Amino acid sequence: MALAVAGVLAVFLLYTAVAGRSTPTLTPSQVQGKSGKLAVVGTVVGPVRGDSHLAGGLRFRLADPQGRSTTRIAVTYRGDSPPPLFRAGRSVVVTGTYSGGRLEGTDIVTKCPSKYTASTPAS
Amino acid sequence: MADLGRAALVVTLGLSVYALLAGAVAARANRRRLADSARNALFCSFASTLVAAAVLAVALARHDFSFSYVASHTNRALPTAYALSAFWGGQEGSLLLWLLILTGYGALAVALNRRLLRDLTAWVVPVFGGIATFFAFVLVAVASPFGTQTAPFDGAGLTPSLQNPYMVAHPPMLYLGYVGLSVPFAFAAGALLSGRTDERWIVATRRWTLAAWTFLGFGQLLGAHWAYVEVGWGGYYAWDPVENAALMPWLAATAFLHSVMIQERKGMLKVWNMVLVALAFELSVFGTFLTRSGVVNSIHSFARSSIGPWFLAFVVISSLFSLALIMWRLPLLKARTRLESALSREATFLYNNLLLVALCLTILWGVLFPILTQLVKGETRTIGRPYYDFFLRAFGLPLLLLMGIGPLIAWRKASVRALARTLAWPIAAAIAAGAALVAAGAGSSRPGLIAYTFSAFVLATIVVELVRGTRATGSVFALVARNRRRYGGYVVHAAVVLLAIGIAGSSAYSTTVERRLALGETMHVAGYSLTNRGVTVARKPNVTETRAHLAVTGPWSGSIASGNNDYVNPPEPSREVGIRTDWARAEDLYVIVDEAHPRTNLIYVEVLVKPLVNLIWVAGLVFLVGSGIALWPDAREQRRLVTRLVPAAP
Repeated sequence: MALAVAGVLAVFLLYTAVAGRSTPTLTPSQVQGKSGKLAVVGTVVGPVRGDSHLAGGLRFRLADPQGRSTTRIAVTYRGDSPPPLFRAGRSVVVTGTYSGGRLEGTDIVTKCPSKYTASTPAS
Repeated sequence: MADLGRAALVVTLGLSVYALLAGAVAARANRRRLADSARNALFCSFASTLVAAAVLAVALARHDFSFSYVASHTNRALPTAYALSAFWGGQEGSLLLWLLILTGYGALAVALNRRLLRDLTAWVVPVFGGIATFFAFVLVAVASPFGTQTAPFDGAGLTPSLQNPYMVAHPPMLYLGYVGLSVPFAFAAGALLSGRTDERWIVATRRWTLAAWTFLGFGQLLGAHWAYVEVGWGGYYAWDPVENAALMPWLAATAFLHSVMIQERKGMLKVWNMVLVALAFELSVFGTFLTRSGVVNSIHSFARSSIGPWFLAFVVISSLFSLALIMWRLPLLKARTRLESALSREATFLYNNLLLVALCLTILWGVLFPILTQLVKGETRTIGRPYYDFFLRAFGLPLLLLMGIGPLIAWRKASVRALARTLAWPIAAAIAAGAALVAAGAGSSRPGLIAYTFSAFVLATIVVELVRGTRATGSVFALVARNRRRYGGYVVHAAVVLLAIGIAGSSAYSTTVERRLALGETMHVAGYSLTNRGVTVARKPNVTETRAHLAVTGPWSGSIASGNNDYVNPPEPSREVGIRTDWARAEDLYVIVDEAHPRTNLIYVEVLVKPLVNLIWVAGLVFLVGSGIALWPDAREQRRLVTRLVPAAP
């Protein structure tokens, strides 16, 4: 009974809190046809040009993670400097507004290397 | 070498299967010699896993790159300590560590209880055997750490930010906690299978649960401190699925540690405790599924792998098994007594449990939300920090308040008048603290003010209890020695209060300013003035260090440097933050230089002033002290238990 009470309590409050607070999180191939505020998970494709602090912003493209599709989307990011791990080939999550085939990014999160990630050993 | 490791794992798998099957047959048919044999198989499975672990450890220490695992996770330049820490760095090594701890814990827990709880341990052995069978199978058939290759000249190396002492200790701490939760689970399942559903399984595993809970809690704090000093984003917890994966079982175990006291004392909440112990265990395995399967997006770059479906299958099967066992034994799990009043210690513990489980389920919901929206709507939606922060306040603040009331309220039934009399001093202290905080300007954050006021209330209740007890015994040491469990618990409560103050202070009252600073320019943040004194570059054999130097005036005067390192092997950058702790003001000045241009001396800098953040780390130490007191062997308690348990044994 106690578990049921806890569950009901949690779900009720969840419902009231979650409504309207979630953000669509998509890959570049899923973004087509969408618009508005969203987050895009992808791999940074170079060249990376510009400066996030200037009006023109930092410009790059995003590809689907692990090359699942050939779709690329253009990103212009304006704001604080991107994280130090940001560069071509990195997995990132860019949050912003998507319209007209371009993502106007306001936040970039790079994957945190909290585990040893395997890469090809030097030969 | 690799063949020896593989063979040892195959032996472990065989012994685990034998412990499972022979143990189950022996327990069911009450065949004592076969039960002894199954138990010995469990002991031997630890020995064979130890051999496999030794093989991997030697390969890591010797930089034997013919092991694919070693080549993928280390290189020649890596110091031996970090090379050895790669044992738990990769997926296969982590699983091997899990199996090693599991078989070690299982063997020790069964060995310690085999005489006193013979009837129960006969069923505990096959449960441990079943869990070990799963992990050994995954290691043998799906994710072996003993894959070989033609040895390359050098390995891939280790991400620089992981070359940190915290990362040597944090993962094994978490594993000791995760796997430790399998001990109470195995004994609970053993109690249900054997029909011995009295309190003996709880008494036998109390310290195991407490130790696992301590490792899990302290491990999380180590990870948080690593994030704070090394990752350099100014925070310590991001509500990421990987972080939540450790928090959820800890919350369930916290609820369990409280509710077992009610079962021990009153014979209530028997079903609830079985559910909690199963929930804590399942969440610990589910966390591995979450982080390894790639089904949820995490900022932590765990590799997607093929073990996800296996873990999901194990979680589903073991959950159904637990549920079926509880349903089967429901008639044996009836409470001896009933809740007499909503105003009693039992009721307070129940409210505490409901809030802890609600918080746990809330976090689980947040973690699963992207998967569920993908399944239902065909579109992944994530929920972020505001959601988690809201529920942390909604459930955490009442929990804080209950932490003060629970230990002081009477058992069975309390009157409002008696409770008010007992809590008079703590309430007065809380009101005084609240008024002082408002006068000091802390009213800008209502949750922060409530957290501080409740914290003052809880601390006052602890002081009142200690003063009252010391008066009776004559010495605080005698008092603690007389009831280590109770007073260890109070110290842990004090640690939680420090944690709450640290979290509230560093989140509700922190100041952040970002600026572009040319050479000689000054910025002002919360009473500090920081002036850009230029950028330096130091080139070393494996790293180029770029640092911006800032002169600081204000509450203290001096300099602080921050920038980034660019490593040659592995070719990775890392952010190097500048942190200066002012213990007199109990705050950190935290400087993140996002960009530093050596030619122009132009920098982009983010400065944070974080009040009371260091109380979070102090809380970790106090937490360890409190847990240590509660865990310390207690001859008096042991005598009480023997008197209580021996007559119950057949």
